[in-house]
Amino acid sequence: MNSQVALSLLEVLQMIGFVAFVTLWIEAYLYTHFHYSKKSWFFPAMLAAVPLGVLLLVVVAIGPALNARQAVNIFLYALLAESALAVFFRFKADKKLALPYMLIMPGFVGLALLIAYPLVFEVYLAFHDLKLTTLKTWSETGYLPFVNFEHFYNVFTKSPLSEVSFWQLLGRTLWWTVVNVFFHVLGGLGLALLLNNEIKLRGIYRTLLIIPWAMPQVVAVLAMKGEFHSEYGFVNIMIGRLVDAFPFLASMGMHKVQWLSQHPFLTCTIVNVWLGIPFMMVVILGGLQSIPKSYYEAASIDGASRWQKFRHITLPLLRPVLAPAVTLGTVWTFNNINVIYLVTGQSGGTEDADILVSALYKAAFSFNRFSYSAAFAIVIFLLLFAISMLWLKFSKGTESAYD
Amino acid sequence: MASVTFSGVRKFYGDNEVLHKVNLEIKDKEFLVLVGPSGCGKSTLLRMLAGLEEISSGEISIDSEVVNDLPPRDRRLAMVFQDYALYPHMTVEENMSFGLRIRKLPQEEIDSRVMDAASILQIQKFLKRKPRQLSGGQRQRVAIGRAIVRKPKVFLFDEPLSNLDAKLREEMRVEIAKIHKKLSATIVYVTHDQVEAMTLASRIAVMHAGYIQQIGTPIEVYSRPENIFVAGFIGSPTMNFIEGALETAADKLYFKNEALKVQIPFPLSEGVEYDPKSVVMGVRPEDVYTEHCLDKTLSDMVRAKVEVVELLGHRKNVYLECGKSRLLVTVPALYNVEETLFLWFDMNRVHLFDKASGKRIC
Amino acid sequence: MTDPRCCRRKWGKLAVHAALVLACIVNIYPLLRIISISLRPGNRLISTDLALIPAEATFMSYVNVVKDTNFLIWLWNSLIITAGTSLIGVILASTAGYAFSRFKFPGNKLGLTLLLGTQMIPAGMLLLPLFLMVMKMGLINTYLGMVIAYSVSSLPFSIWILKGYYDTVPRSLEEAAMVDGTTRIGAFYRVVLPLSTPALAIAFLFNFTAAWNEYLVARVILSNSTKYTWPLGLFELQGQFITQWGMFAAGSVLITIPVLLVFLYSSKWLVSGLTLGSVKG
Repeated sequence: MNSQVALSLLEVLQMIGFVAFVTLWIEAYLYTHFHYSKKSWFFPAMLAAVPLGVLLLVVVAIGPALNARQAVNIFLYALLAESALAVFFRFKADKKLALPYMLIMPGFVGLALLIAYPLVFEVYLAFHDLKLTTLKTWSETGYLPFVNFEHFYNVFTKSPLSEVSFWQLLGRTLWWTVVNVFFHVLGGLGLALLLNNEIKLRGIYRTLLIIPWAMPQVVAVLAMKGEFHSEYGFVNIMIGRLVDAFPFLASMGMHKVQWLSQHPFLTCTIVNVWLGIPFMMVVILGGLQSIPKSYYEAASIDGASRWQKFRHITLPLLRPVLAPAVTLGTVWTFNNINVIYLVTGQSGGTEDADILVSALYKAAFSFNRFSYSAAFAIVIFLLLFAISMLWLKFSKGTESAYD
Repeated sequence: MASVTFSGVRKFYGDNEVLHKVNLEIKDKEFLVLVGPSGCGKSTLLRMLAGLEEISSGEISIDSEVVNDLPPRDRRLAMVFQDYALYPHMTVEENMSFGLRIRKLPQEEIDSRVMDAASILQIQKFLKRKPRQLSGGQRQRVAIGRAIVRKPKVFLFDEPLSNLDAKLREEMRVEIAKIHKKLSATIVYVTHDQVEAMTLASRIAVMHAGYIQQIGTPIEVYSRPENIFVAGFIGSPTMNFIEGALETAADKLYFKNEALKVQIPFPLSEGVEYDPKSVVMGVRPEDVYTEHCLDKTLSDMVRAKVEVVELLGHRKNVYLECGKSRLLVTVPALYNVEETLFLWFDMNRVHLFDKASGKRIC
Repeated sequence: MTDPRCCRRKWGKLAVHAALVLACIVNIYPLLRIISISLRPGNRLISTDLALIPAEATFMSYVNVVKDTNFLIWLWNSLIITAGTSLIGVILASTAGYAFSRFKFPGNKLGLTLLLGTQMIPAGMLLLPLFLMVMKMGLINTYLGMVIAYSVSSLPFSIWILKGYYDTVPRSLEEAAMVDGTTRIGAFYRVVLPLSTPALAIAFLFNFTAAWNEYLVARVILSNSTKYTWPLGLFELQGQFITQWGMFAAGSVLITIPVLLVFLYSSKWLVSGLTLGSVKG
């Protein structure tokens, strides 16, 4: 154990060292380029120093896995890049800009590498053919066959997993989103209305009710999943006992159910609804508590009933709070891989509960269909984008109608 | 202490020129007030001196040393901000010693300077408190204390009293005047309140729309304003302005409009070129008399119709309509004001301005 | 002389209580069950008994999960990765946020919009290329690889939070510091940063909880059991054929209690912390 801890500490040091080294390099680069770009020795010094620095960086990062030819390639590319950049700094850069750029660059370089580059890479992947069989060649030589739009075509025709089709997934995802958000809002609204009364122990109720949200999601989902186990889960145990105690229920069709294998979608939905209600409840409660009591008092004097108060005061005044919460909730639900994967994800698990994003995850990492998944991901992204644009247009339209 | 010189200083925000070739010399130990309405550029000028704004063109020198490229920390200035800018996470003592601690002065020196400043400003018992536990006036004193402790070449004040209520403002004005005397400091003070300017300054620079309109001692600016803007800005209540034209008759110079005609007496009319263009006559309310203040009726009294009477307490403000102009006159409160009044202008204390250029004629 | 309205109110209140109690039971029941499973004696780990405190309750499972699995190592790994991500994220974001808040430079607005845009990229879309990148760089199964992957989502959010907070700190404080004798950076370090502790803490906390509980990315990057974070470890304990119920439950409880406490404790403070910000001195 101790040696493992020591090893991990060593790795931590390496990690810190690497990050510090990269940051220092970036800062030094920016500092010299902004402050000294007008000096006469700028060009030759930078053309010599920077590519060497880049090489050093790569060596430190990748280590001895670098061969001579790759090293020469890197050096030459760095030289090229540096000449362009040095010209730019010489003629366009202003010393005043040094400080802000130095402050943001470490973060942004990281983000560029971790977001921009993967995005581009994903597009590249979608048009080439990376799968298990071509993986080895690719990691050694970097070569991938070019396949045009074949993967995009496959996304719509072939199953990402073994059986379920894109269209089934799409339909299921939409249904999943609608059902979940509906019950989230309903449940959240109900609980929030209950909590909005002045009763004793309100704080305790509230604390207990947000536990599904406060718990680590992995634990919460696995725990709930466990309750649907066909033999030892709470649900079936209770059903069994009820049927034993009241045999007539069996004749009405009540029996133990193989939740996970036969009704995975239902199971996932129940789990996700249970998981998601507390968040909505908290948001709606906040909104309810911000509605001034004077509105209700005025309505009472006017003779409104409870239902009328609810319909004409509570609901409209909740709108500004509900709108972003519902939007957020919809996006999260649409993209929720966690619940579906944790409930059905192990090998041997079913595909009948998958939605678009969970199928994407499985296709990439269980089935190792890399290029296919890249195309799939791009399709999903475009879909989301289109939906958001439509939603924006729709909500802008209704907003102006509301004014 | 030091002298400050602005020469040809201009400031652009994009294409917008907010300061036009400002030239200003501030002598050692002088209390110079930059006064003007909001947006005239006075704060910008001050901040350029402090190093907080870029100088678009021109030079600023402190003690004959050009400081354009010096960062604020090297200019040896101290500044008191409008919102006090006290560091909330430090005690009063730490706030005041901050600049000294950065320069690594010895601790005894720091302590003695802080104690001296604290006793000048009467804030010794607050030294261990945090800013949020102090009132506005106390915070302002701490801000001034922080400046004093630095022993700077020049003190800069950026509208320091704007956030205080009227009574506190009066108290602090006195304090600042005392500090100027005690420390023999060079002070550059920015305000939009002309009362502060008149009471504190050894010289005033009136600014408007990026130009310095006039520089002079308070008395100079008050009694000989060089243009309509300065005349209307300085002095409370505001000067009355009447539009009209000049006329000569029988070797005498007259000011005339549709409602009145008054003679401009000899010392004033000296050197005034007769010119038929429009002029504006300015006369302060305190130089306008009603029949009650004079024990006789004079010739060339002007008739005016009373519009509104405001009771101030010991006096009344009377707004009158005279031809196309509106005039303000004050009378004792006990006096009964009727529908019309006869006014007499003290023509020796009248100002004439050219209407087109706004400049003073006499 | 009971007012009929008063009676109705009493019944109404009772109904509210009853409904809330029911909801609470539903919400916390799975957690209670986990706790009870974790207390079951070794020979009856799998049973249909629904009692909350089982007969012959024992802490054996807790001992076992610590002794017989890599549980402590998993916790250690999680700690390193999470702390690393949060620290790096907060440090880089504090400076970047400051630059966005205080400086005008080409790319200021664009950068912020891009940061916002990254939040809209659906989860899982970047996962594949990120995985392949990390694999090619040889960072699979390493702390660095994980930290890199997590920073992608933690950085934009942190920068936004800190920038928003810095915007509420009056510029005159830094100007006063600069006239007092600091450099531009010195003013940031000595005056603005100490005042930003609430925002820094919030960013740190958010990132920490997000990374601590994360499962999917870890699943992709870590494949060696000694490098697992705790979610991966727990998931392994709930394997498909043999679920090690006892140890799984014990491990879950050990993880959940601190997380719950931190969440419940900090949520009140987080809300007040978010409205903190006017520091007019």
